[in-house]
This record gives sequence, structure tokens and C-alpha cells, in this order.
Amino acid sequence: MTKLKIELMVNRKKRKIEITPSTRLIDLLRDDLQLTGTKEGCGKGECGACTVIMNGELVASCLVLAPQADGAVITTIEGLGSSDHLDPIQEAFIESGAVQCGFCTPGMILAARRLLEENPHPDEEEIKRGISGNLCRCTGYQKIIEAIKLSIARLSKSDSGKAK
Amino acid sequence: MSEKYIGKDILKVDVQDKVTGKALYPDDIYFKDMLYLKIKRATYPHAYLRKLDLSKAEKLPGVVRIISAADIPQVKNFGLMIKDQPVLVGIGQKMRYMGDALAIVIAESKEVASKAVKLIEVEVEKLEVISDPLRAMDKNAPLIHQDGNILATHYLEKGDIKMGFAEADLIVEKEYRTSFLDHVPLQVEAGVGIYDKKSGVITLWVATQWLHDTQADIAQSLGLSKEKIRIIQPVIGGAFGKKEDISVHIHLALAAIETKRPVKLIYSREESMIAQSKRHPFIIRAKTGATKEGYLTAWQAFVIGDTGAYASSGPAVVHKGMYHCTGPYNVANVKGVAYTVYTNNTYAGAMRGFGTTQMAFAYESQMDILAHQLGINPAQFRLQNAYEIGSSTPNGQILTHSVGVKETIKEALNMAGWKGEAQ
Repeated sequence: MTKLKIELMVNRKKRKIEITPSTRLIDLLRDDLQLTGTKEGCGKGECGACTVIMNGELVASCLVLAPQADGAVITTIEGLGSSDHLDPIQEAFIESGAVQCGFCTPGMILAARRLLEENPHPDEEEIKRGISGNLCRCTGYQKIIEAIKLSIARLSKSDSGKAK
Repeated sequence: MSEKYIGKDILKVDVQDKVTGKALYPDDIYFKDMLYLKIKRATYPHAYLRKLDLSKAEKLPGVVRIISAADIPQVKNFGLMIKDQPVLVGIGQKMRYMGDALAIVIAESKEVASKAVKLIEVEVEKLEVISDPLRAMDKNAPLIHQDGNILATHYLEKGDIKMGFAEADLIVEKEYRTSFLDHVPLQVEAGVGIYDKKSGVITLWVATQWLHDTQADIAQSLGLSKEKIRIIQPVIGGAFGKKEDISVHIHLALAAIETKRPVKLIYSREESMIAQSKRHPFIIRAKTGATKEGYLTAWQAFVIGDTGAYASSGPAVVHKGMYHCTGPYNVANVKGVAYTVYTNNTYAGAMRGFGTTQMAFAYESQMDILAHQLGINPAQFRLQNAYEIGSSTPNGQILTHSVGVKETIKEALNMAGWKGEAQ
């Protein structure tokens, strides 16, 4: 099969990679770069588990062909914070009990991150709209909304740097 | 211990891994030289398999091996309550729903496996497709399994139903139907398997809600001792009952033994919807009697649960549903019958509530209709009939502790600010 060479920035690291034209961005991230924090829930852009930030926008990485990401700047959950140094949103999700099975969590946290970058003080309706592309089957969303509210307060105090 | 933990915020042990993306779910486990599986599924919901032509698929570069029923004559059926599910449907055998497996394609990549599955040619002899449990219960309906389409019948009797209806001033009789529901855990069925030639041990990284039952069922199906099946439970991406049944497990084990290489199988969401369990659709006929003062006197329930092509937890779900036919309300005279029925629909199994959720739709509707016809406030009607300590359930269990239904109703009214129905 024909291979294409692409170059992209993932979590602040430059990556050069050979892929087939039909490779999806999610496959590139998971299979080629071992960034398995990005999850596949439906493969149809419905559930949001595969959400990543690409050139500053939220995308469903199952709907983006990897060649389309040539030259792109991408942030996955692995690029947000580490176990030693959690992002304030990750801390808030832990403290609010917003994590159950955890499968939606990476996408949900990235959606929250993107929302708060654009609108640092969203009201409840804006929070709901901000995570409307991400399904959670365990929590009923209430604690996720509480976690994002807690993040608002935390982020306005500490500037942990924007996702690139 | 209680002082240390109760009323304190305790972090989930794996929460840090879950927020950083480090938590490993079955699909996140990779091995060098790993092969990918894809399952060829039934092409018709009720049919005899007459021909399975693998030749084109086998010639596709990257296909390592295709396993069909002819290769595994020693492998036995599996199932949670009844061993009625075939691992692979063989020539001359029946496919009973669209999720039945016909062949396991093993390939070097996901793409090749998916392409190869489409190259498998299937010929079938079609049979009548039974999608309605009432049709399945007809005397002249074709049999989906040889012992009959009614898999289980359960009865319930408490008090004297005739006397109960004689005491009633009002009797309401209605039929209710509920639909199929998928649990839609955010992660689909997925797993990885490895076979160790030296020890003969198969190791599976796969989600299950019944670790030891799953291990025993895989072992009996493959004709191996339980010690040869090792299941490592990775992080589970939701289950809600859907992961009680075997899915990828036996197919992974067979492919691992066959190839001696690590193997991975991930369902697509569509495949998960078609092949894996559902909430039972119920047909409920409820006949309820009450006095004009608003006290329940008799409740008769007729329940049909569509368990689809295979039993799974069906008999337990359906009869448990019937036991809850009166909901949390005192009724001295109860009679019920519940049928668990095979159809050619996707099989139904455990899902949160285990049969009681379907019944709630019927009994709460009955309560509203009765209250309305009696001219009694429906909240008051529920309160004066609700269980308390000492109440007995339809199957005769005396409730001795933790009966919070009255407080729950009062608190719900309070929180909702409900003042009564607009007349």
C-alpha cells in the first residue's frame, strides 16, 4: 500500500511518520504513537471519546484522516498534565468525583480545556454546551459539570499555560 | 475503620491514571507481532448455513488463517444460564440471529481482517424469521431451538386472587410494551489473547463482570481445565450488564492457540449493537383491583420477556420482573405468570434493574390510571399503599429493614414542589 510521509506536532513534540492514506488520526495516535489515552467509542463522531485538540479546535479524531493532520498542532490527554503535575482540570475531575469508568474522561477533559480557553467564566448552560459533543454513560454529567465549575476557580488563580 | 473512611472523600485507586490517559483498557494493550481478528457474522436472522466459501478471503495478502466450525469439532456451546450459544455456526447448523459467528478471520492488520470478512461467501436456506414473541408462542411456529420457543415459565401466587378482585370497587386492565435497549457502555467489547505453548495457558486481557464464571464457561467450551484459562481484568470502559456475557473471549482463545501469536479483537459499535445483549423487551398485561377508599386488593400479571436467540440471563431477568409486578405497594392477593421466549432478535440479558425497570413502567402507569379513575391524589394513593417494615412482597418476603419508599415519595414531592394534579 502507498505510504504517505507527514509531519505534525503532538504534545509539543515534532513527529515524522509514514502512514497509509486511509489511516485515521485516532489510529496514528494510538497504534503508531502509543498515545492510547485517546479512546474509540463509536468510530462515527457521535460519542466524543476520541476528542483531541487540533490547531486549537476540538476534533473527533476518528473522523479526521491522518494525512489531513499534516502540519497540524495536536494536544491529546497525555499532553495536558502528568501524574506529577496535573492540569487543574484533571485535579478538579478527581476531586469532584467526575470520573467513573473513565472512558469518556480524556475527551471530556479536553473539551473542558477548550471551553475554558475560549470562555474562562462559562455559566452552567455554556458548560453544558461545551461538553455537548461528549457522551458519558456512567455519571449523569452532574459531577462533570461540578468539576468544570471547580476548574474555573482554579484556573483563574493559576495560569498553567494553554494547550498548544 | 468506619471513622477513617465513612463520610470522608476517598480517591478511586485508578483515578489518576484515568485523568491522564494512562489507564489501560483492553483495546489499549499492544504486543509485538500482534494479529487482528474480525468475525464473519450471520447473513440472515434464521437460516441453515449451507455453504461457507473462504477461498477468496484466504488468498488476500495479510490473511494468516480463517477458523470455521469445521476446524473446531471439539468446541462446545457456551452461555450464562444455558449452554445454547454456538462459538461458530457450522454447515448444516442454524444461525438464529444476525450476531451468530460463522468464521474467525485472523490477519496482520485490522484493515486486512475487515476486507477479508467481506470476501467470505455464504449460502443459506432461509427459515421464517420470528421477531415477535407472540408469534414464537404460537403452536405452529417453527422452533428456534429444538426444545421449544418458550424457554421458561414461572408462576406466582399469593393470597386469593378471586377474592381480591371480588373485594375491588374498580378494576383496571391494560397492556404495556417496552422496547429493546442497548446499554451502550462507552467502550465496546474488546480483548487481547496470548497462548503459551509450554504451559498450555491462555491469557486473556478482556473485560468481564463475572470473572470466574467466564473462566469456567470458556474452559468447558474449549474442553480445557480452568487452570489453563487466565483472565486479567483490565480497566473496564462501562458495562451495565452488557459485559456479563461472553463476547470476544472464546474467539480470542481459539485464534491464540491456532497462531501461537498475540491476537486482538475489537468489535465495531454496530457489531456490539447487533451481537451483544440487550434489555429484554416485555409485554405486560396487568389487571389491578382497588377499593373506592383507594386500597389495592388484587394484582394479576402476565409477562412475556423476549430473550432473543439465546437464553443469557433471560429466565432470571423475566421472572424477577414478574416478582416485582406490584412495585413497592402492598397487595394481599397476587397472581402471575411469566414466559421467557426465544425469538430471532438479538439476545437479551442482564441490564441495570434486571427486569424490574420494565415492570415499573406498567405498575406506575396502573397506579396513575387507578388514582385518576378513583379521584384520589396519585401521591396520596401511592403513600397509603406503599411498603413499610413488615410488608410482604408478591413472593412472600417479609421486609424487615431499610424500607424507604414512603420517605422517598414525600421527599420527591417536597423537592419537586408538587401540589397536586391540575384538574
